[in-house]
Amino acid sequence: MLIQGAKSGLLAALQTSPGIPIFPPRASTIAGGVDQLHYFLTVLTLFFTFVIFTIIFYFMIRYRRRSEDEQPPETVTLMPLEITWTLIPTLICVVVFAWSASLYFRNANPPNAATEIIVIGKQWMWHIQHQEGVREINELHVPVGVPIKLTMTSQDVIHDFFIPAFRVKRDATPGRYSSLWFQATKTGTFHFFCAQYCGEGHAAMIGWVHVMTPDDYAAWLAGTNRGETMTQAGERLFHQYGCVTCHVADGTGRGPSLVGQFGKPQKLRDGQSLTVDEAFLRRAITQPNSMPIPNYAPVMPTFQGQLNEEQILQLIAYVKSLGGEERKAKGQ
Amino acid sequence: MSAALAEAPPETRVHYLNANYGIKSWLLTTDHKRIALLYLASITLMFFVGGAMAVMMRIHLIDPAGALVHPDTYNKLFTMHGVMMIFFFLIPSIPAVLGNFLVPIMVGAKDLAFPRINLLSWYIFIIGASLTLYAMVSGGVDTGWTFYTPYSTTYANSQVMATALGVFVSGFSSILTGLNFIVTIHKMRAPGLTWFRMPLFLWAIYATSIIQVLGTPVVAIAIFLIGLERLFHVGIFDPAVGGDPILFQHLFWFYSHPAVYIMILPGMGVISEIITCFSRKKIFGYHFVAFSSMAIAVISFLVWGHHMFVTGMSVYAALIFSVLSFLVAIPSAIKVFNWTATLYQGSISYEAPMLYALGFIGLFTMGGLTGLFLASLATDVHLNGTYFIVAHFHYIMVGGAVMAYLGGIHFWWPKISGRMFPDTWARLAAAIVFIGFNLTFFPQFMLGYLGMPRRYATYPAEFQVLNVMSSAGASILGLGYMIPLIYLFWSIRYGPVAPANPWRAKGLEWQTSSPPPTQNFEVPPVVTEEAYAYGPPGSGREGAHD
Amino acid sequence: MSVHVEPVWLYVLVFLCLMVLTATTVGVAFVDLGSFNTLVALTIAVIKMLLVVTFFMHVRHSTALTKVFIAAGFLWLLLLIAFTLTDVGTRQIPQQPEGWGSATTVVPPPK
Repeated sequence: MLIQGAKSGLLAALQTSPGIPIFPPRASTIAGGVDQLHYFLTVLTLFFTFVIFTIIFYFMIRYRRRSEDEQPPETVTLMPLEITWTLIPTLICVVVFAWSASLYFRNANPPNAATEIIVIGKQWMWHIQHQEGVREINELHVPVGVPIKLTMTSQDVIHDFFIPAFRVKRDATPGRYSSLWFQATKTGTFHFFCAQYCGEGHAAMIGWVHVMTPDDYAAWLAGTNRGETMTQAGERLFHQYGCVTCHVADGTGRGPSLVGQFGKPQKLRDGQSLTVDEAFLRRAITQPNSMPIPNYAPVMPTFQGQLNEEQILQLIAYVKSLGGEERKAKGQ
Repeated sequence: MSAALAEAPPETRVHYLNANYGIKSWLLTTDHKRIALLYLASITLMFFVGGAMAVMMRIHLIDPAGALVHPDTYNKLFTMHGVMMIFFFLIPSIPAVLGNFLVPIMVGAKDLAFPRINLLSWYIFIIGASLTLYAMVSGGVDTGWTFYTPYSTTYANSQVMATALGVFVSGFSSILTGLNFIVTIHKMRAPGLTWFRMPLFLWAIYATSIIQVLGTPVVAIAIFLIGLERLFHVGIFDPAVGGDPILFQHLFWFYSHPAVYIMILPGMGVISEIITCFSRKKIFGYHFVAFSSMAIAVISFLVWGHHMFVTGMSVYAALIFSVLSFLVAIPSAIKVFNWTATLYQGSISYEAPMLYALGFIGLFTMGGLTGLFLASLATDVHLNGTYFIVAHFHYIMVGGAVMAYLGGIHFWWPKISGRMFPDTWARLAAAIVFIGFNLTFFPQFMLGYLGMPRRYATYPAEFQVLNVMSSAGASILGLGYMIPLIYLFWSIRYGPVAPANPWRAKGLEWQTSSPPPTQNFEVPPVVTEEAYAYGPPGSGREGAHD
Repeated sequence: MSVHVEPVWLYVLVFLCLMVLTATTVGVAFVDLGSFNTLVALTIAVIKMLLVVTFFMHVRHSTALTKVFIAAGFLWLLLLIAFTLTDVGTRQIPQQPEGWGSATTVVPPPK
């Protein structure tokens, strides 16, 4: 009976191959490495499952009970055997860990020349904004062969941006910025999903990544009604919300000048030194009281609730444009 | 020793089932065996409630657009399925039913150390289960069994409070049961029953109890904080007021990853008992199997971060949790190899419990190895949150823990009920469960790698074929679970009367009559040999081993 | 099992200590110690907990086994905090230096 069980399980596995997709498209620079590791682990799993099943079946048949009064010999625990089968899994684990960790480590940070695109998750859609100002919902157009960095956040609950064809995934968490990057290697249209349960419409948070040749991408950008760029929108907000009255460019205002600050270290009153990055600016806008800065009175009001995630990101884009160690690569 | 007693029909002999009658004699009992049966009845109910939800989900997923229910209802189905199965079936399954019944008998005691606390823990469990069932019938809950914030604290409009309270309350039941087992194993072992003469089931239960006692308070606190946040909006998890939604995941998984081992460790203990009995062999590498249980219990607390690799955790933290996660694989592998080696030169027979045990080894091997995909950072990023995860943990929890639970129920059924079950039906059921299980969950590995996220009420058409296969398998699996329910009930009345030791097994529980008397043993037992002394006479003595 | 009863004055003394420590916690909350805020509050809390465990729960007179289990509880709390901090504490780690640990191969687009 067990033999039948194993067979039917195996048959089920084999019968799916013709005509049924088993592997997702492989369309990013990361995907190949992940797939190799995945194949290795699959072979490892099948090998050990096969070995264990075979040994069990062999023993079951070879040592089946032939009479009720059979007296099997005493079990003798063999130390060398115990050590061997402790060491072998340990060794395999070390190898797999090293392999997977180096792969992960190499792909953890985006190349410095990555084009940044903003992704905001909200119940239940993906809101995407390009630096050039183009906005999309549940669609993401990217050029092939160019590293793309998605800076993500969420307006409500935790979402997760998952592109199976690129083998990448990262949570979009409210109140934080997370990022993932990829470089598409194939033109085409690929699914992306929300992979973190987020409520009733979770299964509807599906969209398409359109990977285009650079020429097509440029044409697409030119053909869309783009409105303001992120930086322009940020500048407008900077004036509209009166940020400009304190954060005067020459440093004479009630707040520090923001010119040339991005990417620089900033000391706080409690002695901590933080890098002025997206997370720093977000916190400074939404919870200014949590990070008083020496030599300036903590008079800035919070903009929590007054600005939505998109507007905060536009302001950050504007501050970035004021100089500093900005990673220079806006798709050109 | 009580062969004469055992052969008499059970009605003529006073044992724990007929010592007294009436509903009060059950609801106010402090007899660990009766409490075990109270648990058995309660968790069987919960299992079939949770199972019915799984069946509805699988029917729903036959059609990419959803065949049965509204997405909102689907979300409630998978949430309640998870809550029921994990908190109210799997966690109490082997410890509270088989553990309650067997721990005192295996240590040679009359009862657990704190019989009244034992009854209390059942009542607490019932209160928790009632609250959760109330939540289910009064609208259900849709947060996922993981209660991730800020969805559960701020956005969900369903019965989060009632469910959270139910889970919170049932946690105390788990803590008290664990406490009871730890004290019993430390303090009440029969003369001669040294630590290394204990059956491995006791080692497994001991390791499990430690996880229960040390881990459960943390999930209780995490769930308590959800309640606080929902009621008073204190801002622990809500980023809008300076909280950290990811902190909840840390607190939650600190318990909920070890909770997986609460489910599987006792199962491993059951397998050690069954394998040795039906191959009439002493366990291969007793010390390795015993210590691997303890190692798993400790390491399980250090690996929870692998549930959170895609939350934006730093590379450094991810590396630490990844390497620790790999460590758990080693003691698990040691167990599998030792069980397999135990069969060597044995005298193997294939009664139903043995079929479940062998099925367990195979499925656990697969479940454990697919865990490596998820401990590996690079592959986890792709597989996290997909059906691959669903398949992996069902291989461990259903293919592992439930198979072991069913194997254990069959193995000790003659002892518990005093009746034999029909072996042909039982073998048939074991085979159906094994086949149905693989057909249900193997396709889900492929779905996951293909990229289908879990918890999707509707899905793109490219995933349909594998979903239909999985649903078809589920119908077989469902049937497989119904059969034992029927024949075990049948056997209580019509089954042949069981002798004291139908499997010719070693272990103290087989030396007393079936079913055992209320005080477990007519004469307090003295242990003179080590566990699983199946070898030639005299070989089980100290010194004739390892 | 022998029952140890502490003299009443000891209970009163411990109670007073707890009250004083509670007052200290409240008092310290009004003083801004920068990043030491949490540390001071936690230290006081741990001292209070130790007082309760040692005297009110009579662990002073308990067997070594009980003490081992209490130590395990502490150890587990430590694990919870320490390993959570591996995530929370490293989120703010500055960017890696140029070209270090990032993908260096930029594949040209297919023509």
